Amino acid sequence: MALTTVDHSALKVNQTGIIATVLVAFFGSWALAGNRLLLLLIPLLAVVLLLGTFAPRLALFKQLYFKVLKPAGIVKPRPVQDRPEPHNFAQGLGGVFLAISSVLVFLPVDPRTALITLSLGLAIALLVAVLAFVNLAFGYCLGCQIYFQLGKRGLIKA
Amino acid sequence: MSIQLLALAVAGAVVLAAAGLEAYRSSRARRLVVGATSGPSAEPYILYFTGEGCTVCRTHQEPALAKLGPVRVDKVDAIAERELADRFEVYTLPTTVVMTAEGRALHVNYGYAPAQKLDRQLAEARIGSTLERTATA
Repeated sequence: MALTTVDHSALKVNQTGIIATVLVAFFGSWALAGNRLLLLLIPLLAVVLLLGTFAPRLALFKQLYFKVLKPAGIVKPRPVQDRPEPHNFAQGLGGVFLAISSVLVFLPVDPRTALITLSLGLAIALLVAVLAFVNLAFGYCLGCQIYFQLGKRGLIKA
Repeated sequence: MSIQLLALAVAGAVVLAAAGLEAYRSSRARRLVVGATSGPSAEPYILYFTGEGCTVCRTHQEPALAKLGPVRVDKVDAIAERELADRFEVYTLPTTVVMTAEGRALHVNYGYAPAQKLDRQLAEARIGSTLERTATA
């Protein structure tokens, strides 16, 4: 598949959005002594990421970059010859994990196991944020590596 | 215990386990690869495994390789040339393999390798090649 131009600033804004949203949900709910209202940000983020994967026009953070941050000159564009597919795959994977996290956080469960499922759900959301940070800071994209491995094994057309 | 503290502990444990697994995986792959062979050359050279979907290859690795000066760099598409990629245990991109002139793998770098590191490894490969030639002569 041919290379195209990918604006890496849009990807960075997307990663920053993921990290900020998860941190607000996590520490906000902690500060509010277990109030679950802010935790609703996790399923919302899952929806945003999954929608953005299949319909890039609906990718909230990327649209924020293209419609606001870039025109206002707040974030400068950084076009790179690249393929968008691995990045989309990584975003979709993040969305899937956040969806699993949301189920664990909001699924009504036995009060005896609630502590475990809720903690596990939050831990998954935190891991998504950690991976977004690693990508943002060091350029290492785990989702892209998984995409490469699946392509190498012929499981997807990479 | 607070739910958030427990979540932090779980996430931290997963990160540590992943880091440990990655360190083990790369050291095991290095052990398997060092000594693997490819074609001989007049000078030490670099096998550079890349792929179309590898962003770090274009943004970091290729500029680093360009800084090395007149060194032979064989660019290999890890997906198209799967057999060669498997021989060098390529599990991540970019991967760079510093080969001696005799075609023996001396150093393997999984992930981005800066120019300074590659320069040092190439210097070792040159010394190694000279020693091997002297021993054969």
